[in-house]
Amino acid sequence: MSQVTRRELLKSAAALGTAAALSPALARTAQAQTTQKKELIVAQSGDISKLDPHFSTSSNDIRWSFNLFDNLTSRHPDGKLYPGLATEWKLTAPTTWTFKLRSGVKFHNGDPFTSADAKASIERTYSPDAKTMVATVLTTIDHIETPDAGTLVIHTKKPDPLLPARLAFYGGQIVPEKYLKSVGAEGFNAKPVGTGPVKLGSWTKDDKLVLEANDAYWGGKPDFDRLTMRPIPETAPRIAALLKGEVDAITQLPADQGERVAGNATTRVAGALYAGLYVLAVNSKRPPLDNPLVKQALSLAVDREAVVKELWRNRGIVPSQPIAKGDNHFDASLPPLAYNPNAARDLLKKANYKGEEIFIETTVGYLTNDKQMSEAIQGMWKDVGVNAKVEVIEYSVRAQKNREKSFKGVFWSDPTSTLADPDGMMWRLLGPGGPQDYWRHARWDELGNNARFSVDEKARGEMYKEMTKIFLENFPWIPILQPYEDYGLQKYVEFTPNPNQQFEIRRFNFKFKRA
Amino acid sequence: MRGVLGFLGPKLLRALVAIWLVTTVVFVVMRLSGDPVPLLLPPDAPTSEILRVRRELGLDRPLPVQYLTFAANILRGDFGRSIHFREPAISVVKGYLGATVELGLTAFVLAALVAVPIGLLSAIRRNTPLDHVAMGVALVGQAAPTFFLGILFILLFSLKADLFPTGGRGEWKNLVLPALTLGAFAMASIARVTRSAVLEVLRADYIRTARAKGVAEWIVVVKHTLRNAALPIVTITGLQFGTLLGGAVVTETVFSWPGIGRLAIQSIYNRDYPVVQCAVFLSAIMFIVLNFAIDLVYGLLDPRVRPKA
Repeated sequence: MSQVTRRELLKSAAALGTAAALSPALARTAQAQTTQKKELIVAQSGDISKLDPHFSTSSNDIRWSFNLFDNLTSRHPDGKLYPGLATEWKLTAPTTWTFKLRSGVKFHNGDPFTSADAKASIERTYSPDAKTMVATVLTTIDHIETPDAGTLVIHTKKPDPLLPARLAFYGGQIVPEKYLKSVGAEGFNAKPVGTGPVKLGSWTKDDKLVLEANDAYWGGKPDFDRLTMRPIPETAPRIAALLKGEVDAITQLPADQGERVAGNATTRVAGALYAGLYVLAVNSKRPPLDNPLVKQALSLAVDREAVVKELWRNRGIVPSQPIAKGDNHFDASLPPLAYNPNAARDLLKKANYKGEEIFIETTVGYLTNDKQMSEAIQGMWKDVGVNAKVEVIEYSVRAQKNREKSFKGVFWSDPTSTLADPDGMMWRLLGPGGPQDYWRHARWDELGNNARFSVDEKARGEMYKEMTKIFLENFPWIPILQPYEDYGLQKYVEFTPNPNQQFEIRRFNFKFKRA
Repeated sequence: MRGVLGFLGPKLLRALVAIWLVTTVVFVVMRLSGDPVPLLLPPDAPTSEILRVRRELGLDRPLPVQYLTFAANILRGDFGRSIHFREPAISVVKGYLGATVELGLTAFVLAALVAVPIGLLSAIRRNTPLDHVAMGVALVGQAAPTFFLGILFILLFSLKADLFPTGGRGEWKNLVLPALTLGAFAMASIARVTRSAVLEVLRADYIRTARAKGVAEWIVVVKHTLRNAALPIVTITGLQFGTLLGGAVVTETVFSWPGIGRLAIQSIYNRDYPVVQCAVFLSAIMFIVLNFAIDLVYGLLDPRVRPKA
């Protein structure tokens, strides 16, 4: 709120015509645009739980493990894959990927990084003995060879066009083989050692995580000496800490708070279109949701523009398909999903819908605005004659239902595109045996399976086109919106966020504005 | 000695039963509430993976077996390993104890130091503007939700006035707003109880006698009144202290204070059974020790409740 005082000061100064009072105030605002700080402080909504990158996939953890560690490949904010610890990679046979590794890279403890580390690290993720939480990420791999210290050859069970993309996300962080062996898994989690731009300083649970800059980082030392993370669970105090200048950046800025941050003289909002969608996933096994006409009607009855405008203050876009904008094979020619209540009523009649209850099971705050959106959509569905009911469930109950596949109707999901490709999103989640396997369609399954193992991108594109068409007749998900992932920043922080919450802070996307 | 044992013995027994009940209830309720494993794994983990992790954590064994192991381990001081943090539960909880005691104690001292004199003054100056203002503020302090009060303090004293940081733990400045927020409720209720207890005593015959004898007013207040009004004040103060130590979840969340309340809530969400059990166990012990202390203070203050020699 200090900006109010500043504005008032400016106003009264102008009224009195006292230029002398004006200049210090202006100087202060100008000063706020640059900084001499050597510490970057970031606040997020919760503490980390583990430092070992192979033992967590939660976004609060991976924001930091992607900075302590590097992957072989790296997905930059522009959505493309760039070299990480691998400098180049090639498909040398249909089931063989060869990676050239960066030379001269050292782990934080001084050990050199070699192909043996990369091999051990990748094998660790799915080794039954290591018992990691990312055991399913890299299972297309059959075996790995290391012809020399700078070369890694990965043989896959079937052709895997997306292996380099898989290696860029969680599970792909490279850990040091020798050090890990000497300290054991627990010792490693307590004192992790990576190759990333920061190394561990200290961690006080629920208080702060302190990371020190790695001066010898192969990608160049970041523009700070120290990176500190503070968990601030409540939104209001998190924003207050930013406005007051106690922190330099905050994550998870809700859309309705954006104006407050943007309207402040010293702070701004930076966002990236989320690499994924917010959808109502459908239990298509349960009548009347097993009838595609009913699901088409439900989709037509949702006024998505109103949702985006009213609940998201326009920090989102209306989706047109199950593929997120920004992903491979996104079809830009498709129109946004239509809102047509009359057509919805007709379809319900045609489907012989008899007023059966349709449940929207929602958490409060698991996804931003989930409960508000549920209530809005319940109203829209009631308008066309659907007997919609909202049921609130707790987050861990949701996790349980998710595992048991026991949702009663529709439920919120935020499918993340882990590979910037439909394979890492709709096929990963809706495919046979996937976590949202409530609907099967022989042709769709055939296409999804073929696309996964094809290395011909053009053919894959055609397959995803046909899958999209089938999807839009059957709606195993009812896509609602593709939101922006927003961050609040001090104006002196130059940062381009990554669409997939990865929060890699490197020289290519972060810098302090210096005077 | 026998008298002291007769005084303390039954209390000790009751305390042990209470601790056993609390731990058992927590054990059962936590297991009824759900499974931690889906929260640990990525959403697309196959069932085989879930079964493997369940087996590893010992969650696949029958409940009675799990309970017996749990009870036997507790007797040895072993609360098991945190599912979420992958380290011993006791060491996780220990890391939070310092912050909890720091905040609880400050809030308590603040509350007691402010509330007892205010309640006393209100009673002595009954129905004066001072009394009305003090009790009005106390009513607001008791009625205002902690959440609202905390955010209000941040907006006023942190953002607007720039006196204190918005949250986090560090120097004494970080402690002021959370301690005020946390202490507000206790302060209000201690002040109100003090006022009514003192009022009651002021009506007693011995006070009239003392005054009639011409005893100085301050002696009447401190020696004759406060001492006799002390029992309810000590009771409410002790109970509030217990609450301050164990129930600071909202304050800790608003001010991102790394305390045990927040740890317990987070651990419940994560279904981290061992940490919840350990945190609740320690909180129960603290509460029971406090109750014990109150009982002892009773004995000091009031000869009538002392064990007969």
